[in-house]
Amino acid sequence: MLKNILPENIYNIIAERISFNAINEIRIRADKPIVISVGSGRFFLSEHGLSGNLKEAITASKVMIEDIIFRASECSIYSVNEQIKKGFIVTSGGVRLGIGGDMIEENGHIKTMTNFNSLNIRIPHAIKNCSLSAFNHILQDDKLLNALVISPPGAGKTTFLRDFICQLSERNYAFNVLVLDERGELDLGGSVGNFADKISFATKKVGFENGIRSLSPNLIVTDELGGEPDIEAVRYCANCGVNILASVHCDTIENFVKKPSYEKLINEKIFKRYILLSMRNGPGTLEGIYNENFSRLTKY
Amino acid sequence: MNWIILAIFAFCCIAIGYIFSLKYKKRADFFKTLVMLCQKFDVEINYSRERLKNLFLSFDEKTKKHLHGLDKNFLSYLDNATTLDEANLFKNINFLKQNEKDLILLFFKSLGRSDLASQSTELKNFEKRFEEFSTLAGNENKKYGSLSIKLGIVAGLVVVVLFI
Repeated sequence: MLKNILPENIYNIIAERISFNAINEIRIRADKPIVISVGSGRFFLSEHGLSGNLKEAITASKVMIEDIIFRASECSIYSVNEQIKKGFIVTSGGVRLGIGGDMIEENGHIKTMTNFNSLNIRIPHAIKNCSLSAFNHILQDDKLLNALVISPPGAGKTTFLRDFICQLSERNYAFNVLVLDERGELDLGGSVGNFADKISFATKKVGFENGIRSLSPNLIVTDELGGEPDIEAVRYCANCGVNILASVHCDTIENFVKKPSYEKLINEKIFKRYILLSMRNGPGTLEGIYNENFSRLTKY
Repeated sequence: MNWIILAIFAFCCIAIGYIFSLKYKKRADFFKTLVMLCQKFDVEINYSRERLKNLFLSFDEKTKKHLHGLDKNFLSYLDNATTLDEANLFKNINFLKQNEKDLILLFFKSLGRSDLASQSTELKNFEKRFEEFSTLAGNENKKYGSLSIKLGIVAGLVVVVLFI
């Protein structure tokens, strides 16, 4: 997929000298060196591969950024305008491009973004079995428990959710799973298994309401809970008797508990399991699994 | 035998006239199709937001043939990530004037490059310009196209009369 998006010379250097499997992110900023994240380290991209030397770094241009966005939108920027308004594009292969530029507002609403000046290309990795350690804590006696995956950005939340859905499917747990893929990242080309329905690019509120009414799911899986509307959507889902597996940005359990917007969810004990991931040993490091009272069930 | 030779001469004159008239018909059909393309794109991008490539592929085959490969040249540019220039876009198309080529190149360069509102406005602007070209080409076709055929027929008759 990246072959169709990246400029040929950049793609060839990465494919021949680095390998896409090792890369987490590619940062492209106008008139700045291209930076590549490998594991927890960051390097410049040079003609010879990764480099720590700024002088060797390949510098990106604004035209390069515009061209990547054009290609990522399958040569149809108008078709991804709703995504661009939210600051990203997701390609059909599940690669998410975070976009920096000038937001155009009209009557208090974001109309579009122009003057693109930076890109964060996040390379998705399907890490087989990465959710297995937590699997039996979320599914107990063939019953699903509501679970929230907590981690800082880039630490493997989405990969965990994706793998959990696959594990359910592979073990023939025929739960009707609804994947609410707000940013189009969860499903890497049909990777969500045999028992999953998908609603893409809808807000949590709309997706939860419509999905519960029309698709009767047993489990809703969604990424990156955010503000108050998302919290209310989760409460609505729990009140309808539908299980939920979601994720949220936060670095520690202590900091998560302090977040005022999650107070209701915590007090009502909607989530029975909290799974904490970190970057300690690379993305996806499982730090611990906690119950609804934040007692640690396992330590890794 | 003489009558057969005369008939062949007359036929050739008419055929030459017809071939000359084809150029004008090609131009008229070409611009009419470009206008239709703009209209289709404007509707489709506003409602289905279909990708550019699919829009071209779903454009009616019979109508598309009037573009004389322009669509294929553009799709090839989209597929191969090459630069879009006059030589690539107008490969095998030799009936357009330079100012027409410039505008059409600009049109194709603008496709897919902007947000929904801007793209829709651009399409409407180009549609207007192509309509102007279409009207001119239609008038030329009426005037010179039919004139070429008529001249062909007259020339054919003259040949027959001279021989008789």
